[in-house]
Amino acid sequence: MVRDSSQIWSPWVIDDIHSKADLGRYRIRGLSTFQKVTHFDDLTFLSTGLTRFPLEGYKEQCNTRTVLGGLHSEHPLELDIPIYITGMSYGALSANAKTALGKAASMVGTASCTGDGGMLQSERDESDKLIYQVLPSRYGFNPHHLVNAQAVEIVVGQGAKPGTGGMLMGVKVLDEIAEMRDLPTGIDQRSPTRHPDWLGPDDLAVKIEQLREATDWRIPIHIKLGACRVADDVKLAAKAGADSIIIDSMVAGTGASAEVLLDHSGIPTVPAIVMAREALRELGLYRKVSLIASGGIRSGADVAKALALGADAVAIGIASLIALNCNREIPESDFMKEMGVPAGQCHHCHTGKCPVGIATQDPDLMKRLDIDEGAERVANFLNAMTMEAAVLTRSLGKSDVHSLEPEDLMALTMEASAMARVPLVGTNKIY
Amino acid sequence: MVTLNASDLSIRELNVKIKELAAQFQEITVVDPQARHNIGVGILQHATIKIDGSVGYYAASLMDGPEVTINGNAGWALGDNMMSGKITLTKDAGASVASTMRGGEIFVGGNAGARAGISMKGGTLVIGGNTGFLTGFMMQKGKIIICGDSGEAVGDSMYEGEIYIGGKIGSLGTDAKIEEVSEEELIELWNELESHGIKDKPRFRKVVSAKKLYHYDSLERLEKTLI
Repeated sequence: MVRDSSQIWSPWVIDDIHSKADLGRYRIRGLSTFQKVTHFDDLTFLSTGLTRFPLEGYKEQCNTRTVLGGLHSEHPLELDIPIYITGMSYGALSANAKTALGKAASMVGTASCTGDGGMLQSERDESDKLIYQVLPSRYGFNPHHLVNAQAVEIVVGQGAKPGTGGMLMGVKVLDEIAEMRDLPTGIDQRSPTRHPDWLGPDDLAVKIEQLREATDWRIPIHIKLGACRVADDVKLAAKAGADSIIIDSMVAGTGASAEVLLDHSGIPTVPAIVMAREALRELGLYRKVSLIASGGIRSGADVAKALALGADAVAIGIASLIALNCNREIPESDFMKEMGVPAGQCHHCHTGKCPVGIATQDPDLMKRLDIDEGAERVANFLNAMTMEAAVLTRSLGKSDVHSLEPEDLMALTMEASAMARVPLVGTNKIY
Repeated sequence: MVTLNASDLSIRELNVKIKELAAQFQEITVVDPQARHNIGVGILQHATIKIDGSVGYYAASLMDGPEVTINGNAGWALGDNMMSGKITLTKDAGASVASTMRGGEIFVGGNAGARAGISMKGGTLVIGGNTGFLTGFMMQKGKIIICGDSGEAVGDSMYEGEIYIGGKIGSLGTDAKIEEVSEEELIELWNELESHGIKDKPRFRKVVSAKKLYHYDSLERLEKTLI
């Protein structure tokens, strides 16, 4: 009889060691962590019974309108839904993918966001509301693009790989991308980790003022943090003058990262939101500085739970790409033949060989993604998520998704109870 | 020519007035800036601006087109992300002068602090004196000319671009190397200095990227079949 595989020396660990013995360096891949962590699935809503009255789905409205970043800016970001599409670079993604995402965002009255590498003109043309990222690399950063954005997002960190910079493998740094980023064609690009012109939160306050002056104080300035030392980082970001804070958790996605960072840094979305909420509450800035959660938002249920825990909105990345066709077998593709894995298990975004034309700069592969069809799928998905969140909200007797609160939730596990600070089902106890 | 007394105005008011006057093609003089931050940010057209006194962080940053002369010192990130135009600073610059600069020219008459020309993506930075550590860190394109000494780790992690140093090199950064400077290059450099009123003719040395960090040197088994 052969015993089952060892927990410590599992087949995956053995293969991992073999690979690193061949490579002599850390492994790189895309997608997200494979760690098993507490997530929204470990929380459940307490819909109405005799203690509260539900709202009728077909005749009673549920407001989803969301306003972000109104603390200092003249024109906060007004969205029809509490979900927008997060920053993902043109470079990591194809032009068709970025354009489709911008178009989809406009179709449902929300925003999309640029990414490392600067602004793609076709995304700007299609996106009614575009958030312009300011990253440590400043690749392609252009003040003319800045002043035409609807919001600015200073990226301090990214949940998938906090404490490090972006990465784009040479197979994707083709001529157009290289030119936009002022880099040699084909280089394995590793973005800087720190911003070039500010180092700490006191300097960040001056940087925020610079961006406000450049945009005439019209538009909100967001700060994106990788969820690590959440309480301290959120307080410092708020005190530096952020209008909104995005807290990006360890389950967030990426096109390429050192695997060791994907799986061994950051904290999950549920405790990240709660810690951020409490940090803002401590400063008297909760619901004044907008809180945006990102990382592992997959459905309207996740949206509703994030809002109930204290977020004002969520940003989605991987989910929008899956809606675009990521990991879906389409007539033109053959995942096993092209990627060596079946559709549904691919995480090789960093290779640039995406069989569905999303995470690639190969023009032949990019053709497999039709912009209009892709935009419609993403718009459908955003609508579906919004409807799901509204259904849950009405079932709780509420007419506004922003009325969701922690008291609407209970935890299905002790860990979730401790992280979400809500009682465990069947008890009154918060662990 | 219009003179603005910065001590009478908030930074917001000052920058609004500067932009309004620039749009009217007026020449602008700012007096008594009191080393405040964010003076002259975001001017996206040609303008001629003189600032009499020292400025704080981010002076003349995020700009495209203006010619700015500052009679004094500057704080961090002078000319940050400049697209085109010219900045002349008569005295010393703080850290990160010309950070992520993409075009145009910046001249610093005195010394510059750490990280001068960090992540430069184009344009020319000329320093009349010395620079601090990590000059040209992660430089991508462009030219840095240092008449004096550079600090430690010059040219660390450069992609491309050239750093010319007339004095001592504190130390070379990671993946940086020294390359020969031709006589034609020297003459060009001396002409550049002369355009800024510097008569000295240092025998410059050139620091460039050794380009050994451009690629990961190994691929996974699966990647070898895909890429």
